[in-house]
Amino acid sequence: MKPRKDLLTIESLSDEEIHTILDSAVAMKEIFTKSVKKVPTLRGKSVLTLFYEPSTRTRSSFEVAAHRLSADVTTFTLSTSSVVKGESVHDTIDTLMSMKMDYIIVRHKNSGIPAVIARHCHASVINAGDGAHAHPSQAFLDAFTIREKYGEVVNKRVVVIGDILHSRVARSTSVILRRLGAQVAYMGPGSLVPPSSHTGIPRLRDWDEIFAWKPDVIYLLRVQNERIESPFFPVADYHHAYGVTEERLRRIDAQDISIMHPGPVNRGVELCDAAMDYRNCLVCNQVENGIAARMSILYHLTPATLS
Amino acid sequence: MPTLNERDIQTALDQWAEHIVAGASEDFLGLVGLISHGDVLARRLIDALEAKGISAQYGAIDITLYRDDIDLRPERPALRSSYLPFSTDGMHLILVDDVIRSGRTARAALETLFEYGRPARVELQCLVDRGHRELPLHPDYVAFRLEDAKGDVRVHLKELDKEDAVLY
Amino acid sequence: MTNSFITNATWAISGQKVHLQLGKAGNSVKLNADTAATDQVRGMIPAEDGNLPEGMRTIDATGKLILPALFDLHTHIEIPGRSKRECIMRAGEAAIHGGVWGMLVLPSSSFCFDNSASLDSFREAVEARSAAEMVPCGCITLGMQGEQQAPYNTLATTRDITILCDGDHAPQNLLLLYRAMQYAVDLGLTFAVRADVPALTTHTYVHPGSTAYRLGLHPCPPCAEEIGTETLLRIAESTGAKLHLQLVSTAESVRIIRRAKERGVQVTAEVALHHLLYTHEDIGDYNTVYKTIPPLRDKIDCEALLEGVKDGTIDCIVSAHTPCTPFAKKQDFINAPEGMVGLDTMLPALYTKLVKPGLLSWEELVQACCVKPALIARPWEQEEGATCEVPLLLFDPTTEMEVDETILACGTLNTPLLGETLCGKVTLPLQ
Repeated sequence: MKPRKDLLTIESLSDEEIHTILDSAVAMKEIFTKSVKKVPTLRGKSVLTLFYEPSTRTRSSFEVAAHRLSADVTTFTLSTSSVVKGESVHDTIDTLMSMKMDYIIVRHKNSGIPAVIARHCHASVINAGDGAHAHPSQAFLDAFTIREKYGEVVNKRVVVIGDILHSRVARSTSVILRRLGAQVAYMGPGSLVPPSSHTGIPRLRDWDEIFAWKPDVIYLLRVQNERIESPFFPVADYHHAYGVTEERLRRIDAQDISIMHPGPVNRGVELCDAAMDYRNCLVCNQVENGIAARMSILYHLTPATLS
Repeated sequence: MPTLNERDIQTALDQWAEHIVAGASEDFLGLVGLISHGDVLARRLIDALEAKGISAQYGAIDITLYRDDIDLRPERPALRSSYLPFSTDGMHLILVDDVIRSGRTARAALETLFEYGRPARVELQCLVDRGHRELPLHPDYVAFRLEDAKGDVRVHLKELDKEDAVLY
Repeated sequence: MTNSFITNATWAISGQKVHLQLGKAGNSVKLNADTAATDQVRGMIPAEDGNLPEGMRTIDATGKLILPALFDLHTHIEIPGRSKRECIMRAGEAAIHGGVWGMLVLPSSSFCFDNSASLDSFREAVEARSAAEMVPCGCITLGMQGEQQAPYNTLATTRDITILCDGDHAPQNLLLLYRAMQYAVDLGLTFAVRADVPALTTHTYVHPGSTAYRLGLHPCPPCAEEIGTETLLRIAESTGAKLHLQLVSTAESVRIIRRAKERGVQVTAEVALHHLLYTHEDIGDYNTVYKTIPPLRDKIDCEALLEGVKDGTIDCIVSAHTPCTPFAKKQDFINAPEGMVGLDTMLPALYTKLVKPGLLSWEELVQACCVKPALIARPWEQEEGATCEVPLLLFDPTTEMEVDETILACGTLNTPLLGETLCGKVTLPLQ
């Protein structure tokens, strides 16, 4: 793999890079089985997590990944009140430049912010989610999880259900899965699924269409009530219309379909309780694979500070 | 270009296997090859040992993540899956590699190995010793000494390179 | 009294070969609603019967065009962080570069034309520093806050204000706008307003489509502009006020305006050059240069807008000149300000992108960029039947220029044309 400084989107990667990062993730996951769950690869390198949006899961996952590669991790805490305007991102960049970080992991509510930081920093910038734009490390862990489950991604059929409009997960994950040869479809409320002429991805109307489409994986997105300013759908309808109910779980089981979810799960909204214990529920695998995928991403990026 | 051919290598592996048999102790024996090439040699040695009635565990390790030159390379090498399906605690392990030169790979291999457990004894055995050591690490057994070779020494093995040969 | 002639130039509107005596009455053309007549042009002689007086100095302009200079109905001249004097000087210089002799200056926070004093000081500064004519546009409401009406009887009768505008955002209070229009009818004022329904467009950044989805940016539905257009037309129709619709950007808006014109509503409309040339796809990977208000739309909208220009539904093409500092545009797409600069490159861009490829004729260009905007802004004494003297310019369509920092006089670089090569060199004023 040619030296690459940043990981901002899946679209910016070549097929070779996608395969290399996925392959290395397998090797990274083996480290978890050793008595010492750590390798010295990034000894002396500094990793900064810069989260403008709260996210315990993604941040911890990146931090564990960096620790397992022996990097030093610094957490940059930003009080959201002081970070309202984009200007402060530029000021923050100046600060970061002075800190001589090697890797910066950014999450921001505005689409496109990690790209702005990447343009002005020597450090490798990893987009840990920007607005409704991209979440490439999630895409890698999802592809890794499907590949681990089925041996390959090619020709697998994946339905992504829920708030596509606001979901960076839906965007990045559908891009990587399609690049790897999978078929992707969307399903969700009309106010939250852009028309397929915009997305290039077919839209299924309801659960009957999903079952008829014969998916291998059903990927439920988290209902993000906190990000939605004016209501896009009646929340009380959600589980009934779009969630995995007990009755639907029986059909999912009958068709041997896997369930995925980026977490954290709203029980009783996207998934009924029983779905979390379903034999083909891959949610915990996703979490574990997230660390391996992020180790692989960190390993394969080359900060400009090193050259 | 002087080369060692398939027959030379076959003969060398037979002698190598004899050496291992002679040195076998009470402890369980494991051959751990370094990916790539070392693992292929380890597999062949195990087959040769089995023909002599000695059984040994097979393992393969990728030492990339333990290299000390990762920042010096223009690009990050691809990772391969290590395979060590047994507990190394208390075992007699032989690290098998194709060529030893600076000793840096062997150093990384030792570090890799020790993060899987605490073996009773570790040996380092190589097909070719190229000389030019930079670290105080010396193989316990070497099939060919090519310390005076000019330029590269490359080992080709059928499983990976379609032929058995040592080119130098 | 000068004795130089420009010889063998082409009168852009008719294609006729002409000579032009320089300096004669300022080399201007009288405008009225249908100006195409060449005999209105002072100092111009048809080449075929042009027996030039002996001993005259002649400048051979073979292959070059003569046309009335442009008037730009939509400019913001404020450059954030710069002095008012510099803003005026730079905008004036940029306009002359682009073949624009005069412009309507929309109110902004530094140029808040809601009182006589600010108009007086602006006009003084323009007199002293601007190479181009600048017509200030009065505020509809005090401080453009959308709450209290500005004193536009005073502004109109004592300070010659003819157009009212609250910047890029119309008053949201429709009752206020309705009453303002009723009040202004007797003053003959024109309301320049951009149609919008803020409830539908707040926190939106791009046209709904593949770019909005790909970049994860909230889409700005075209129906907001269309509902706004209908609303404004109905209010104007009901009150009898003159309405000028700013920055029309959607195909359906064009159809709505066409229908309104057919039923006799006193409405004029403008389109920004960038809405004719670019689509949301040009935004690419968050290129903030292409962030505009309203957002860049689809190809079908570009086509319908151009069609509207050609059939007269859309009266004018404007630059919507808006300087934004490099720092501001370096921000992420959501935080970056909207707008492009366009004065410097106005005529070369119009020529290179529309006339040269055959999408717009010179006659249509003169109507949309010279005649109609000047007639809407009326930057001259308001007497019955008065006409406007518009200067002429010489345009050499064969000279190429690369758009770079050195040729942009406007003070900022926020144009997608930066780095492009445009055809055409403007000589203005003629002497």
